[in-house]
Amino acid sequence: MEFLQLALNGVALGAAYALVALGFVLILNATGAVNFAQGDLVAAGGFVAVALAGILPAPGYLLLPLVAILMAALGLAVSAVAYWPLRDRPPVAVFISTIALGIIIQNGLNGLFGAEPRAAPPLFAGGQLEFFGLVIARQSLSIMATAALLIGAVQLLLTRTQLGRRLRATAQDREVAAALGIPVGAMIALTFALAAALAGAAGMLLANRYFITPTHGTDFIVKAYIAVVIGGWGRIGGALAGAMLVALFETVVAAWADYAVATGLLYVAMLTILVFRPRGLFGEAEGRRA
Amino acid sequence: MTARHPVRAWLGRDVNALVLAGAIGLLAWPFLTGDAYSLRLLTVAGVYGLAAIGYQFVFGHAGALSLAQGAFFGLGAYAAGIMSVRTGAGFEVTFPAAMAAAAVLAALVALPVLRLRSHYFALATLAVGQVALVIAVNWESVTGGANGIPNVPVPSLFGASVGRGWPMLLLVWSLVAAGAVVARRLTGGLTGAALLLMREQPMAAEAAGIDIRRVRFAAFLLSALYGGAAGALQVHTVRVVSPEVLEFPVMVMLLAIAVVGGRTSISGAILGAVLLIHLPEWFRPLERYYLVAYGVALLAMIVAAPWGLMGSLSRARQRWLPEPEPPLPAAGRVPAGRPPARLAIAGLTRHFGGVRAVDGIDLVVEPGESVGIVGANGSGKTTLLNMIAGVETPDSGRIRWGKSDIAGLPPYRIARAGIGRSFQALKLIDGLTVLDNVAAAAWRETGGPDRDAARASAMALLQALDLAPMAWRRCGALPPGLRRRVEIARALIGGPALLLLDEPAAGLTAAERDSVAGTLAALNAGGTTVVVVEHDLAFLEGFVARIVCLDQGRIIADGAPADVRSDPGVISAWLGQPPDEGHKHD
Repeated sequence: MEFLQLALNGVALGAAYALVALGFVLILNATGAVNFAQGDLVAAGGFVAVALAGILPAPGYLLLPLVAILMAALGLAVSAVAYWPLRDRPPVAVFISTIALGIIIQNGLNGLFGAEPRAAPPLFAGGQLEFFGLVIARQSLSIMATAALLIGAVQLLLTRTQLGRRLRATAQDREVAAALGIPVGAMIALTFALAAALAGAAGMLLANRYFITPTHGTDFIVKAYIAVVIGGWGRIGGALAGAMLVALFETVVAAWADYAVATGLLYVAMLTILVFRPRGLFGEAEGRRA
Repeated sequence: MTARHPVRAWLGRDVNALVLAGAIGLLAWPFLTGDAYSLRLLTVAGVYGLAAIGYQFVFGHAGALSLAQGAFFGLGAYAAGIMSVRTGAGFEVTFPAAMAAAAVLAALVALPVLRLRSHYFALATLAVGQVALVIAVNWESVTGGANGIPNVPVPSLFGASVGRGWPMLLLVWSLVAAGAVVARRLTGGLTGAALLLMREQPMAAEAAGIDIRRVRFAAFLLSALYGGAAGALQVHTVRVVSPEVLEFPVMVMLLAIAVVGGRTSISGAILGAVLLIHLPEWFRPLERYYLVAYGVALLAMIVAAPWGLMGSLSRARQRWLPEPEPPLPAAGRVPAGRPPARLAIAGLTRHFGGVRAVDGIDLVVEPGESVGIVGANGSGKTTLLNMIAGVETPDSGRIRWGKSDIAGLPPYRIARAGIGRSFQALKLIDGLTVLDNVAAAAWRETGGPDRDAARASAMALLQALDLAPMAWRRCGALPPGLRRRVEIARALIGGPALLLLDEPAAGLTAAERDSVAGTLAALNAGGTTVVVVEHDLAFLEGFVARIVCLDQGRIIADGAPADVRSDPGVISAWLGQPPDEGHKHD
């Protein structure tokens, strides 16, 4: 029973991580580059929610779309500043420019909001539910439901719409996509917007359950990175599974060791996986090079 | 030679004058301001400069995005700090101990980590630092936990203590200078060109006989030694060791220094360190937002100078004040050929999934022969060549070269055994001169020729291949036919007894094809065995005496060109195809 309880908490955390990892892998596929500011975008989403809640006395579920829209705008700005000027350089240039951008976001948040942990409003009411002896916070349920909804929506967007087909074509082969008349630049900017909106939603959800500080971003990016590596570089499904594994590992191990040790063990586990599976648990997406 | 341009004369060839002026300015500046704080900042800048020079070995020269340099730095700081507080050991002990500790960590993690590629490598090295951080925070009895260890003494060198301020600054900067000289010796000259070859064309480097794994290991180890040394200096400068030295911002700082200064430029690392350590100070008036401004400045530099400040400077110099071409170096001897040997292949097989790319091939090539290998797309020609060269490992079968079995050996060992090769898709360094593209292939990790000797041999080959007038031109500026010949020259610098060529006529004009055929005929006449994979039968007939035709991974004909051409099996399997199929890549 205790294990089930832990697993349940882990799944709720994993749902939020999955949103972060999804944004990470979308940008990775579209540009071939790692967006290292993805974690700081999560923190930014949390603080946007905190700020909005201070201005608008609206319930969380109404604030969430607003947060997503504002974050999408920030995502466009990220692509314009840190990706666009370096689009013809090797991907490592974007890795580094997004690290610099992360410094800007992190310290900007620190200047605006201070270093204390803050909490965003819950999506619905707070409190807990109990069934079959399992205690679950309402917010955890909201996190799981929202994440499922958003991931499903992204999946529908990618597979069922013309826009989604264009986004996927861009991710598969930029040159061919451009030759087919797809506006590749716009598609990549849109991918950044989508990824930032997902990060923002994750930030708002996490900022209620676990609080948020400006420096939290580094944690999130490292976890998304680990999720994508063990799930298979470039695989969307793998990234979601990886996020779940990371969260479950963290929750279960943190139950008997302290959080820092759990984090350390997560890295050790990841290194061990790489020793035996140098390209992740599930292998890379087909035809893709690391 | 014309007289040197006065501005260029002033700038000097390697911006040495600028470096000197910078160094003087650097030392003069704290004299002018004079306060303790600016002395300390400049000392810290030296510490980071040293760590960044080390980081360039792995990030710049080996081209691997390591995120472990912060861990080496932090480990060095902890090792030196703990030793000097607990045992009172002098700097002459703690400094090498810190370097050794970092090198041991590097050697331990190198085995699993160095074989990982790009982003996996980046994450794995990041994890090394994070695990070190967790240990530092939690192992309180040794590391002092989250608070760290205060009151680290000033360093004492053989009993004489090095005071704060000027003495410490001079100690740090003399070690930076020493580190810079060592790094310059290790990465300059021919080594620099060879490192470029390994970074940009790793397959070509292996085919030239260079053991890349060994070089990457050396680079990783060197970066750790420098990182550990800088960490030891850091702990004596700030006089306290705490988990902060292992946190990610330190790694970000080192990465930023290397990117902003220039990835392979030593003066760039020093310039970047001085600039980035001082940058936040200049933004102090912005109070809470000073680090935002720092981030903006950093991002602006990355975007505006993607090759780093020193890289952009040298590009600008090349553009606006181009060096006149130096005189051609004197040609040395053509490299001595390896002893000729017999290539004997038996039962060689390689499957890809369910496809039998090579299906039980037996083939003997006698020393001095010239053999063409032909066949339709997917008939197994390139797979066969790749197995001989060590790029692919056979599923079964033997490849004997003289008396040794070379099947499954890594490419660099096969190259050293005397088998050279060229690639179908050219693998040259476009930004490098023709001469150095060829000379770089003569480099060895140990015991190779120096740059002048390698250039002299390269020059002899360029003369033999009618490329001498192009020696100082950049490869990217040459037409395909000449580039093909440059690649052949590069394959010859190791003095191979057997030369493997993969579609050397692909994409060439008729005149270029004739000239490459002439080159190969002359080589063969000089005693080199030549095996050529090719689609173009007419091209082969110009210089080979024997043609082997493959179909579905098997040999279907083997004999004189005229016989193979009229063979009914060859006609139905290959020659009968529509002509447009014949020029695609396998």
